[in-house]
Amino acid sequence: MILLEAVTKNYNGRAALRGISTHVERGEFVYLTGPSGAGKSTFLRLLYRAELPDSGRIIVDDYELARLRHRDVAEFRRRLGVVFQDFKLLRRRTVGENVTFVLSLLALPEKEQQRRAYLVLKQMGLQHRVNAFPDELSGGEQQRVAIARALVLQPDLILADEPTGNLDPDRSHELLELLKTINYQGTTVVVATHDRALIEAHAARTLSLDHGRLVGDAWGPAA
Amino acid sequence: MSRHGIREVRRQLVESGGAGVVAVVLVTVASAWGGALWTARDWVQRELLSRGRASTLVAVARTPADATALRDQVAAAFPGLSAAALAPRTVQEELSGWFPELSTVLLTLEEKSFPALVQVEVAPRQEEAVAAWLRARPDVTMVESSRAWQARLEQAVARLLAVGFAVTAAMLVGCCVVVLLVIRLLVLAHADEIAIMRLIGAHDGDIRRPYLISGAALGLLGGALGSALTAGAALLAHRALPTVAVAPWTYGALPVAGALAGTLGAVLGLASLPSEP
Repeated sequence: MILLEAVTKNYNGRAALRGISTHVERGEFVYLTGPSGAGKSTFLRLLYRAELPDSGRIIVDDYELARLRHRDVAEFRRRLGVVFQDFKLLRRRTVGENVTFVLSLLALPEKEQQRRAYLVLKQMGLQHRVNAFPDELSGGEQQRVAIARALVLQPDLILADEPTGNLDPDRSHELLELLKTINYQGTTVVVATHDRALIEAHAARTLSLDHGRLVGDAWGPAA
Repeated sequence: MSRHGIREVRRQLVESGGAGVVAVVLVTVASAWGGALWTARDWVQRELLSRGRASTLVAVARTPADATALRDQVAAAFPGLSAAALAPRTVQEELSGWFPELSTVLLTLEEKSFPALVQVEVAPRQEEAVAAWLRARPDVTMVESSRAWQARLEQAVARLLAVGFAVTAAMLVGCCVVVLLVIRLLVLAHADEIAIMRLIGAHDGDIRRPYLISGAALGLLGGALGSALTAGAALLAHRALPTVAVAPWTYGALPVAGALAGTLGAVLGLASLPSEP
Protein backbone atom coordinates (compact mmCIF):
# COMPACT_ATOMS: atom_id res chain seq x y z
CA MET A 1 0.00 0.00 0.00
CA ILE A 2 2.79 2.38 0.96
CA LEU A 3 6.42 2.11 -0.04
CA LEU A 4 9.17 4.59 0.78
CA GLU A 5 12.69 4.13 -0.55
CA ALA A 6 15.53 6.32 0.75
CA VAL A 7 13.22 9.32 1.10
CA THR A 8 14.84 12.59 2.05
CA LYS A 9 13.21 15.95 2.62
CA ASN A 10 14.94 19.20 3.57
CA TYR A 11 13.53 22.59 4.50
CA ASN A 12 15.94 25.46 3.98
CA GLY A 13 18.88 23.14 4.32
CA ARG A 14 17.56 21.50 7.50
CA ALA A 15 16.80 17.81 7.08
CA ALA A 16 13.22 16.89 8.07
CA LEU A 17 13.50 13.29 6.82
CA ARG A 18 16.75 11.45 6.18
CA GLY A 19 16.84 8.37 4.01
CA ILE A 20 13.55 6.84 5.17
CA SER A 21 12.81 3.39 3.76
CA THR A 22 9.81 1.41 4.89
CA HIS A 23 6.61 -0.13 3.64
CA VAL A 24 3.06 -0.57 4.91
CA GLU A 25 0.97 -3.48 3.69
CA ARG A 26 -2.62 -3.08 2.54
CA GLY A 27 -4.95 -3.42 5.55
CA GLU A 28 -2.28 -2.64 8.14
CA PHE A 29 -2.71 -0.31 11.12
CA VAL A 30 0.45 1.67 11.76
CA TYR A 31 1.40 4.30 14.30
CA LEU A 32 3.97 6.89 13.42
CA THR A 33 5.50 8.23 16.58
CA GLY A 34 8.34 10.35 17.81
CA PRO A 35 8.96 13.64 19.62
CA SER A 36 7.97 17.02 18.19
CA GLY A 37 10.10 17.82 15.15
CA ALA A 38 10.88 14.16 14.52
CA GLY A 39 9.36 14.38 11.01
CA LYS A 40 5.93 12.74 11.55
CA SER A 41 3.95 15.49 9.83
CA THR A 42 6.45 15.72 6.97
CA PHE A 43 6.18 11.94 6.54
CA LEU A 44 2.40 12.25 6.20
CA ARG A 45 2.55 15.34 3.98
CA LEU A 46 4.71 13.39 1.57
CA LEU A 47 2.20 10.53 1.60
CA TYR A 48 -0.71 12.72 0.52
CA ARG A 49 1.56 14.59 -1.89
CA ALA A 50 1.27 17.99 -0.28
CA GLU A 51 5.01 18.00 -0.91
CA LEU A 52 7.49 16.08 -2.99
CA PRO A 53 10.66 14.47 -1.60
CA ASP A 54 14.05 15.91 -2.44
CA SER A 55 15.22 12.41 -3.19
CA GLY A 56 13.95 8.85 -2.95
CA ARG A 57 10.76 7.22 -4.15
CA ILE A 58 7.27 7.08 -2.65
CA ILE A 59 4.54 4.75 -3.88
CA VAL A 60 1.06 4.97 -2.37
CA ASP A 61 -1.75 2.72 -3.58
CA ASP A 62 0.18 1.98 -6.79
CA TYR A 63 0.72 5.69 -7.52
CA GLU A 64 4.36 6.76 -7.74
CA LEU A 65 3.85 10.22 -6.29
CA ALA A 66 6.78 12.06 -7.91
CA ARG A 67 5.62 10.90 -11.33
CA LEU A 68 1.96 11.63 -10.76
CA ARG A 69 0.60 13.87 -13.49
CA HIS A 70 -0.81 17.17 -12.32
CA ARG A 71 -4.37 16.29 -13.28
CA ASP A 72 -4.16 12.92 -11.48
CA VAL A 73 -3.20 14.40 -8.11
CA ALA A 74 -6.82 15.18 -7.22
CA GLU A 75 -7.94 11.67 -8.22
CA PHE A 76 -5.20 10.23 -6.01
CA ARG A 77 -6.22 12.35 -3.02
CA ARG A 78 -9.85 11.33 -3.39
CA ARG A 79 -8.75 7.79 -2.53
CA LEU A 80 -7.35 8.97 0.78
CA GLY A 81 -8.93 10.14 3.97
CA VAL A 82 -6.67 12.64 5.64
CA VAL A 83 -7.14 14.01 9.17
CA PHE A 84 -4.99 17.10 9.42
CA GLN A 85 -3.34 18.20 12.64
CA ASP A 86 -4.82 21.69 12.22
CA PHE A 87 -8.14 20.23 10.98
CA LYS A 88 -8.15 22.27 7.75
CA LEU A 89 -11.88 22.80 7.78
CA LEU A 90 -13.50 25.11 5.25
CA ARG A 91 -14.33 28.09 7.47
CA ARG A 92 -17.07 29.54 5.28
CA ARG A 93 -18.96 26.26 5.11
CA THR A 94 -21.11 24.52 7.65
CA VAL A 95 -20.20 21.23 9.28
CA GLY A 96 -22.57 19.46 6.88
CA GLU A 97 -21.05 21.17 3.88
CA ASN A 98 -17.52 20.37 5.03
CA VAL A 99 -18.41 16.71 5.08
CA THR A 100 -20.49 16.59 1.90
CA PHE A 101 -18.00 18.70 -0.05
CA VAL A 102 -15.67 15.75 -0.62
CA LEU A 103 -18.66 13.66 -1.69
CA SER A 104 -19.79 16.34 -4.13
CA LEU A 105 -16.37 16.06 -5.79
CA LEU A 106 -17.28 12.47 -6.58
CA ALA A 107 -20.55 13.73 -8.08
CA LEU A 108 -22.62 11.55 -5.78
CA PRO A 109 -26.35 12.24 -5.80
CA GLU A 110 -27.42 14.91 -3.32
CA LYS A 111 -29.47 12.50 -1.22
CA GLU A 112 -26.63 10.00 -0.98
CA GLN A 113 -24.29 12.78 0.13
CA GLN A 114 -26.74 13.80 2.86
CA ARG A 115 -27.26 10.21 3.96
CA ARG A 116 -23.57 9.42 4.21
CA ALA A 117 -22.78 12.71 5.92
CA TYR A 118 -25.52 12.17 8.49
CA LEU A 119 -24.31 8.66 9.29
CA VAL A 120 -20.71 9.67 9.79
CA LEU A 121 -21.60 12.81 11.76
CA LYS A 122 -23.85 10.70 13.98
CA GLN A 123 -20.95 8.32 14.48
CA MET A 124 -18.91 11.33 15.62
CA GLY A 125 -21.73 12.62 17.83
CA LEU A 126 -22.09 15.75 15.75
CA GLN A 127 -25.44 15.23 14.04
CA HIS A 128 -26.94 18.17 15.96
CA ARG A 129 -24.13 20.52 14.78
CA VAL A 130 -24.65 19.97 11.07
CA ASN A 131 -25.56 23.61 10.38
CA ALA A 132 -22.87 25.12 12.61
CA PHE A 133 -19.79 26.79 11.17
CA PRO A 134 -16.33 25.55 12.26
CA ASP A 135 -15.61 28.72 14.23
CA GLU A 136 -18.69 27.99 16.36
CA LEU A 137 -17.28 24.61 17.42
CA SER A 138 -14.84 23.65 20.16
CA GLY A 139 -11.43 22.29 19.20
CA GLY A 140 -12.57 18.75 19.91
CA GLU A 141 -15.69 19.17 17.79
CA GLN A 142 -13.65 20.60 14.93
CA GLN A 143 -11.34 17.62 15.13
CA ARG A 144 -14.29 15.26 14.96
CA VAL A 145 -15.59 17.09 11.87
CA ALA A 146 -12.16 16.67 10.28
CA ILE A 147 -12.29 12.95 11.10
CA ALA A 148 -15.85 12.68 9.76
CA ARG A 149 -14.71 14.29 6.51
CA ALA A 150 -11.90 11.78 6.17
CA LEU A 151 -14.13 8.79 6.94
CA VAL A 152 -17.11 9.73 4.79
CA LEU A 153 -15.19 8.89 1.62
CA GLN A 154 -14.75 5.31 2.82
CA PRO A 155 -11.15 5.53 1.58
CA ASP A 156 -8.63 2.76 1.02
CA LEU A 157 -6.10 4.61 3.17
CA ILE A 158 -6.55 6.90 6.15
CA LEU A 159 -3.73 9.21 7.18
CA ALA A 160 -4.30 10.89 10.53
CA ASP A 161 -1.96 13.51 11.94
CA GLU A 162 -2.40 13.69 15.73
CA PRO A 163 -6.13 12.93 15.44
CA THR A 164 -6.58 12.79 19.21
CA GLY A 165 -4.64 15.96 19.94
CA ASN A 166 -7.75 17.95 20.90
CA LEU A 167 -9.90 15.13 22.26
CA ASP A 168 -10.45 14.13 25.88
CA PRO A 169 -9.19 10.62 26.84
CA ASP A 170 -12.61 8.99 26.43
CA ARG A 171 -13.11 10.50 22.97
CA SER A 172 -9.52 9.55 22.06
CA HIS A 173 -10.12 5.91 22.91
CA GLU A 174 -13.46 5.95 21.09
CA LEU A 175 -11.74 7.37 18.02
CA LEU A 176 -9.00 4.75 18.13
CA GLU A 177 -11.66 2.05 18.45
CA LEU A 178 -13.40 3.51 15.43
CA LEU A 179 -10.17 3.61 13.40
CA LYS A 180 -9.45 0.01 14.44
CA THR A 181 -12.93 -1.04 13.34
CA ILE A 182 -12.43 0.67 9.97
CA ASN A 183 -9.05 -1.04 9.74
CA TYR A 184 -10.63 -4.47 10.41
CA GLN A 185 -12.87 -3.77 7.41
CA GLY A 186 -9.77 -3.58 5.21
CA THR A 187 -8.78 0.07 5.26
CA THR A 188 -5.12 0.85 5.79
CA VAL A 189 -4.63 3.33 8.64
CA VAL A 190 -1.55 5.40 9.48
CA VAL A 191 -1.82 7.48 12.64
CA ALA A 192 0.85 9.99 13.65
CA THR A 193 0.80 10.51 17.40
CA HIS A 194 3.15 11.12 20.30
CA ASP A 195 0.58 9.78 22.80
CA ARG A 196 2.35 6.68 24.21
CA ALA A 197 -0.61 5.81 26.42
CA LEU A 198 -2.82 5.53 23.39
CA ILE A 199 -0.34 3.29 21.60
CA GLU A 200 -0.08 1.09 24.68
CA ALA A 201 -3.85 0.83 24.98
CA HIS A 202 -4.40 0.08 21.29
CA ALA A 203 -1.19 -1.66 20.33
CA ALA A 204 -0.20 -1.94 16.67
CA ARG A 205 2.88 -1.72 14.49
CA THR A 206 4.75 1.44 15.41
CA LEU A 207 7.26 3.34 13.28
CA SER A 208 9.42 5.59 15.43
CA LEU A 209 11.03 8.71 14.01
CA ASP A 210 13.70 10.84 15.62
CA HIS A 211 15.39 13.83 13.99
CA GLY A 212 14.12 12.69 10.60
CA ARG A 213 15.47 9.15 10.90
CA LEU A 214 13.45 5.97 11.22
CA VAL A 215 14.75 4.62 14.51
CA GLY A 216 12.22 1.91 15.26
CA ASP A 217 9.75 -0.44 13.62
CA ALA A 218 8.09 -2.70 16.19
CA TRP A 219 4.80 -3.83 17.71
CA GLY A 220 3.65 -1.39 20.39
CA PRO A 221 5.49 1.64 21.74
CA ALA A 222 9.27 1.73 21.59
CA ALA A 223 10.97 1.15 24.86
CA MET B 1 -23.76 22.79 -10.89
CA SER B 2 -24.02 21.12 -7.50
CA ARG B 3 -25.67 22.65 -4.44
CA HIS B 4 -22.16 23.28 -3.07
CA GLY B 5 -21.28 25.23 -6.20
CA ILE B 6 -24.47 27.30 -6.09
CA ARG B 7 -23.92 28.19 -2.42
CA GLU B 8 -20.29 29.04 -3.09
CA VAL B 9 -21.26 31.37 -5.95
CA ARG B 10 -23.84 33.03 -3.69
CA ARG B 11 -21.21 33.50 -0.97
CA GLN B 12 -18.72 34.92 -3.45
CA LEU B 13 -21.27 37.38 -4.84
CA VAL B 14 -21.99 38.60 -1.32
CA GLU B 15 -18.27 38.77 -0.51
CA SER B 16 -17.51 40.72 -3.68
CA GLY B 17 -19.21 43.67 -1.88
CA GLY B 18 -18.62 47.18 -3.16
CA ALA B 19 -16.26 46.09 -5.93
CA GLY B 20 -18.91 43.68 -7.20
CA VAL B 21 -21.48 46.48 -7.21
CA VAL B 22 -19.06 48.66 -9.20
CA ALA B 23 -18.64 45.85 -11.74
CA VAL B 24 -22.42 45.46 -12.08
CA VAL B 25 -22.91 49.23 -12.46
CA LEU B 26 -20.18 49.40 -15.11
CA VAL B 27 -21.77 46.62 -17.14
CA THR B 28 -25.21 48.17 -16.67
CA VAL B 29 -24.04 51.53 -17.99
CA ALA B 30 -21.98 49.96 -20.79
CA SER B 31 -24.78 47.70 -21.97
CA ALA B 32 -27.51 50.35 -21.68
CA TRP B 33 -25.31 52.77 -23.61
CA GLY B 34 -24.54 50.11 -26.22
CA GLY B 35 -28.21 49.15 -26.50
CA ALA B 36 -29.31 52.77 -26.87
CA LEU B 37 -26.62 53.38 -29.45
CA TRP B 38 -27.60 50.36 -31.49
CA THR B 39 -31.25 51.38 -31.34
CA ALA B 40 -30.32 54.90 -32.48
CA ARG B 41 -28.27 53.43 -35.32
CA ASP B 42 -31.24 51.32 -36.43
CA TRP B 43 -33.50 54.31 -36.31
CA VAL B 44 -31.12 56.51 -38.32
CA GLN B 45 -30.68 53.77 -40.92
CA ARG B 46 -34.39 53.13 -41.21
CA GLU B 47 -35.81 56.61 -40.92
CA LEU B 48 -33.19 58.86 -42.43
CA LEU B 49 -30.71 57.04 -44.61
CA SER B 50 -33.18 54.80 -46.39
CA ARG B 51 -35.05 57.87 -47.71
CA GLY B 52 -34.12 59.82 -50.80
CA ARG B 53 -32.31 56.98 -52.48
CA ALA B 54 -33.29 58.48 -55.82
CA SER B 55 -30.66 60.86 -57.09
CA THR B 56 -32.00 64.33 -56.55
CA LEU B 57 -30.26 67.65 -57.14
CA VAL B 58 -31.38 70.62 -55.14
CA ALA B 59 -30.37 74.11 -56.22
CA VAL B 60 -30.90 76.98 -53.82
CA ALA B 61 -32.14 80.08 -55.65
CA ARG B 62 -31.86 83.64 -54.37
CA THR B 63 -35.61 84.31 -54.59
CA PRO B 64 -38.78 82.33 -55.35
CA ALA B 65 -38.95 84.11 -58.74
CA ASP B 66 -35.37 83.00 -59.51
CA ALA B 67 -36.41 79.46 -58.62
CA THR B 68 -39.30 79.50 -61.09
CA ALA B 69 -37.07 80.89 -63.85
CA LEU B 70 -34.39 78.34 -63.13
CA ARG B 71 -36.90 75.50 -63.34
CA ASP B 72 -37.83 76.66 -66.86
CA GLN B 73 -34.16 76.92 -67.85
CA VAL B 74 -33.51 73.38 -66.65
CA ALA B 75 -36.47 72.09 -68.62
CA ALA B 76 -35.14 73.82 -71.71
CA ALA B 77 -31.52 72.72 -71.26
CA PHE B 78 -32.26 69.12 -70.26
CA PRO B 79 -35.46 68.00 -71.91
CA GLY B 80 -36.95 64.95 -70.25
CA LEU B 81 -35.73 65.82 -66.74
CA SER B 82 -38.29 66.45 -64.06
CA ALA B 83 -37.70 69.79 -62.37
CA ALA B 84 -39.83 71.56 -59.79
CA ALA B 85 -39.61 74.98 -58.13
CA LEU B 86 -40.36 74.96 -54.44
CA ALA B 87 -41.34 78.09 -52.54
CA PRO B 88 -39.96 78.48 -48.96
CA ARG B 89 -43.34 77.54 -47.53
CA THR B 90 -43.41 74.36 -49.61
CA VAL B 91 -39.85 73.52 -48.55
CA GLN B 92 -40.90 73.91 -44.92
CA GLU B 93 -43.91 71.64 -45.41
CA GLU B 94 -41.94 69.08 -47.38
CA LEU B 95 -39.22 68.85 -44.77
CA SER B 96 -41.89 68.40 -42.12
CA GLY B 97 -43.34 65.59 -44.21
CA TRP B 98 -39.95 63.91 -44.56
CA PHE B 99 -39.16 64.12 -40.89
CA PRO B 100 -42.46 63.88 -39.01
CA GLU B 101 -40.51 63.46 -35.77
CA LEU B 102 -39.07 66.96 -36.26
CA SER B 103 -42.19 68.54 -37.74
CA THR B 104 -43.12 70.33 -34.52
CA VAL B 105 -39.79 72.12 -34.55
CA LEU B 106 -39.74 72.76 -38.30
CA LEU B 107 -43.24 74.22 -38.44
CA THR B 108 -42.53 76.68 -35.65
CA LEU B 109 -39.67 78.27 -37.62
CA GLU B 110 -40.35 81.37 -39.73
CA GLU B 111 -40.93 80.88 -43.44
CA LYS B 112 -37.94 83.08 -44.32
CA SER B 113 -35.70 80.53 -42.60
CA PHE B 114 -36.28 78.25 -45.59
CA PRO B 115 -34.87 78.82 -49.08
CA ALA B 116 -36.57 78.72 -52.49
CA LEU B 117 -35.40 75.63 -54.29
CA VAL B 118 -35.34 73.92 -57.59
CA GLN B 119 -35.47 70.18 -57.27
CA VAL B 120 -34.29 68.11 -60.21
CA GLU B 121 -34.67 64.33 -60.46
CA VAL B 122 -31.76 62.98 -62.47
CA ALA B 123 -30.40 59.64 -63.49
CA PRO B 124 -27.12 58.94 -61.66
CA ARG B 125 -25.13 59.13 -64.92
CA GLN B 126 -26.46 62.67 -65.58
CA GLU B 127 -25.94 63.92 -62.07
CA GLU B 128 -22.47 65.41 -62.48
CA ALA B 129 -23.33 67.27 -65.73
CA VAL B 130 -26.57 68.74 -64.41
CA ALA B 131 -24.93 69.72 -61.11
CA ALA B 132 -22.12 71.51 -62.99
CA TRP B 133 -24.64 73.30 -65.18
CA LEU B 134 -26.61 74.44 -62.12
CA ARG B 135 -23.48 75.62 -60.28
CA ALA B 136 -22.61 77.79 -63.25
CA ARG B 137 -25.90 79.76 -62.98
CA PRO B 138 -25.41 83.16 -61.31
CA ASP B 139 -28.84 83.00 -59.62
CA VAL B 140 -27.95 79.74 -57.83
CA THR B 141 -26.25 80.06 -54.46
CA MET B 142 -25.74 76.38 -53.70
CA VAL B 143 -26.22 72.97 -55.32
CA GLU B 144 -26.60 69.86 -53.28
CA SER B 145 -26.88 66.31 -54.44
CA SER B 146 -28.98 63.92 -52.38
CA ARG B 147 -26.31 61.26 -52.86
CA ALA B 148 -23.58 63.54 -51.55
CA TRP B 149 -25.78 64.61 -48.66
CA GLN B 150 -26.57 61.01 -47.87
CA ALA B 151 -22.91 60.04 -48.05
CA ARG B 152 -21.98 62.83 -45.64
CA LEU B 153 -24.77 61.86 -43.26
CA GLU B 154 -23.76 58.22 -43.40
CA GLN B 155 -20.17 59.21 -42.69
CA ALA B 156 -21.17 61.39 -39.76
CA VAL B 157 -23.44 58.71 -38.32
CA ALA B 158 -20.72 56.08 -38.78
CA ARG B 159 -18.21 58.27 -36.93
CA LEU B 160 -20.61 58.95 -34.10
CA LEU B 161 -21.41 55.27 -33.82
CA ALA B 162 -17.74 54.29 -33.90
CA VAL B 163 -16.98 56.69 -31.06
CA GLY B 164 -20.05 55.50 -29.15
CA PHE B 165 -19.19 51.83 -29.54
CA ALA B 166 -15.56 52.54 -28.61
CA VAL B 167 -16.87 54.07 -25.38
CA THR B 168 -19.02 50.94 -24.84
CA ALA B 169 -16.02 48.70 -25.46
CA ALA B 170 -13.91 50.78 -23.06
CA MET B 171 -16.58 50.40 -20.38
CA LEU B 172 -16.74 46.63 -20.95
CA VAL B 173 -12.94 46.46 -20.66
CA GLY B 174 -13.31 48.45 -17.44
CA CYS B 175 -15.84 45.87 -16.25
CA CYS B 176 -13.38 43.08 -17.12
CA VAL B 177 -10.71 44.82 -15.07
CA VAL B 178 -13.03 45.30 -12.08
CA VAL B 179 -14.19 41.66 -12.22
CA LEU B 180 -10.54 40.61 -12.53
CA LEU B 181 -9.75 42.55 -9.36
CA VAL B 182 -12.82 41.19 -7.56
CA ILE B 183 -11.88 37.61 -8.41
CA ARG B 184 -8.23 38.19 -7.54
CA LEU B 185 -9.22 39.59 -4.14
CA LEU B 186 -11.56 36.66 -3.53
CA VAL B 187 -8.84 34.19 -4.50
CA LEU B 188 -6.41 35.90 -2.13
CA ALA B 189 -8.99 35.88 0.66
CA HIS B 190 -9.73 32.20 0.01
CA ALA B 191 -6.12 31.10 -0.48
CA ASP B 192 -6.16 28.85 2.60
CA GLU B 193 -9.49 27.35 1.65
CA ILE B 194 -8.33 26.72 -1.92
CA ALA B 195 -5.25 24.92 -0.58
CA ILE B 196 -7.50 22.78 1.65
CA MET B 197 -9.83 22.00 -1.24
CA ARG B 198 -6.87 20.77 -3.25
CA LEU B 199 -5.66 18.63 -0.34
CA ILE B 200 -9.02 16.90 -0.06
CA GLY B 201 -9.19 16.10 -3.75
CA ALA B 202 -10.66 19.08 -5.60
CA HIS B 203 -9.62 19.45 -9.22
CA ASP B 204 -8.56 22.80 -10.60
CA GLY B 205 -11.90 22.89 -12.39
CA ASP B 206 -13.83 22.31 -9.13
CA ILE B 207 -12.04 25.31 -7.64
CA ARG B 208 -12.21 27.61 -10.66
CA ARG B 209 -15.83 26.97 -11.65
CA PRO B 210 -17.56 28.99 -8.89
CA TYR B 211 -15.25 31.97 -9.50
CA LEU B 212 -15.95 31.87 -13.24
CA ILE B 213 -19.67 31.64 -12.60
CA SER B 214 -19.47 34.52 -10.11
CA GLY B 215 -17.70 36.69 -12.69
CA ALA B 216 -20.24 35.73 -15.34
CA ALA B 217 -23.11 36.37 -12.91
CA LEU B 218 -21.85 39.88 -12.13
CA GLY B 219 -21.69 40.61 -15.87
CA LEU B 220 -25.03 38.94 -16.55
CA LEU B 221 -26.74 40.93 -13.82
CA GLY B 222 -25.26 44.17 -15.20
CA GLY B 223 -26.30 43.21 -18.74
CA ALA B 224 -29.84 42.38 -17.62
CA LEU B 225 -30.11 45.73 -15.83
CA GLY B 226 -28.70 47.37 -18.97
CA SER B 227 -31.42 45.65 -21.02
CA ALA B 228 -34.07 46.97 -18.67
CA LEU B 229 -32.60 50.48 -18.86
CA THR B 230 -32.52 50.29 -22.66
CA ALA B 231 -36.16 49.23 -22.71
CA GLY B 232 -37.05 52.10 -20.37
CA ALA B 233 -35.11 54.63 -22.45
CA ALA B 234 -36.75 53.34 -25.64
CA LEU B 235 -40.19 53.76 -24.06
CA LEU B 236 -39.38 57.36 -23.18
CA ALA B 237 -37.90 58.06 -26.63
CA HIS B 238 -40.97 56.48 -28.24
CA ARG B 239 -43.12 59.35 -26.97
CA ALA B 240 -41.08 61.89 -28.95
CA LEU B 241 -40.10 59.66 -31.87
CA PRO B 242 -42.85 57.06 -32.39
CA THR B 243 -40.79 54.99 -34.83
CA VAL B 244 -38.04 54.28 -32.28
CA ALA B 245 -37.99 50.58 -31.42
CA VAL B 246 -35.41 48.32 -29.75
CA ALA B 247 -34.56 45.24 -31.82
CA PRO B 248 -35.82 42.24 -29.77
CA TRP B 249 -32.49 40.43 -29.98
CA THR B 250 -30.87 43.34 -28.14
CA TYR B 251 -32.58 42.28 -24.92
CA GLY B 252 -30.78 38.92 -25.10
CA ALA B 253 -27.51 40.20 -26.50
CA LEU B 254 -26.81 42.72 -23.75
CA PRO B 255 -26.85 40.20 -20.85
CA VAL B 256 -24.78 37.80 -22.96
CA ALA B 257 -22.21 40.53 -23.67
CA GLY B 258 -22.13 41.39 -19.97
CA ALA B 259 -21.69 37.74 -19.00
CA LEU B 260 -18.84 37.34 -21.52
CA ALA B 261 -17.08 40.44 -20.16
CA GLY B 262 -17.50 39.14 -16.59
CA THR B 263 -16.26 35.66 -17.54
CA LEU B 264 -13.21 37.10 -19.28
CA GLY B 265 -12.42 39.18 -16.18
CA ALA B 266 -12.78 36.09 -14.00
CA VAL B 267 -10.52 34.02 -16.28
CA LEU B 268 -7.84 36.70 -16.03
CA GLY B 269 -8.38 37.03 -12.27
CA LEU B 270 -7.89 33.29 -11.81
CA ALA B 271 -4.37 33.57 -13.19
CA SER B 272 -3.42 34.32 -9.58
CA LEU B 273 -4.74 30.95 -8.40
CA PRO B 274 -1.97 29.13 -6.50
CA SER B 275 -0.88 25.92 -8.14
CA GLU B 276 0.09 22.47 -6.91
CA PRO B 277 3.71 21.81 -5.87
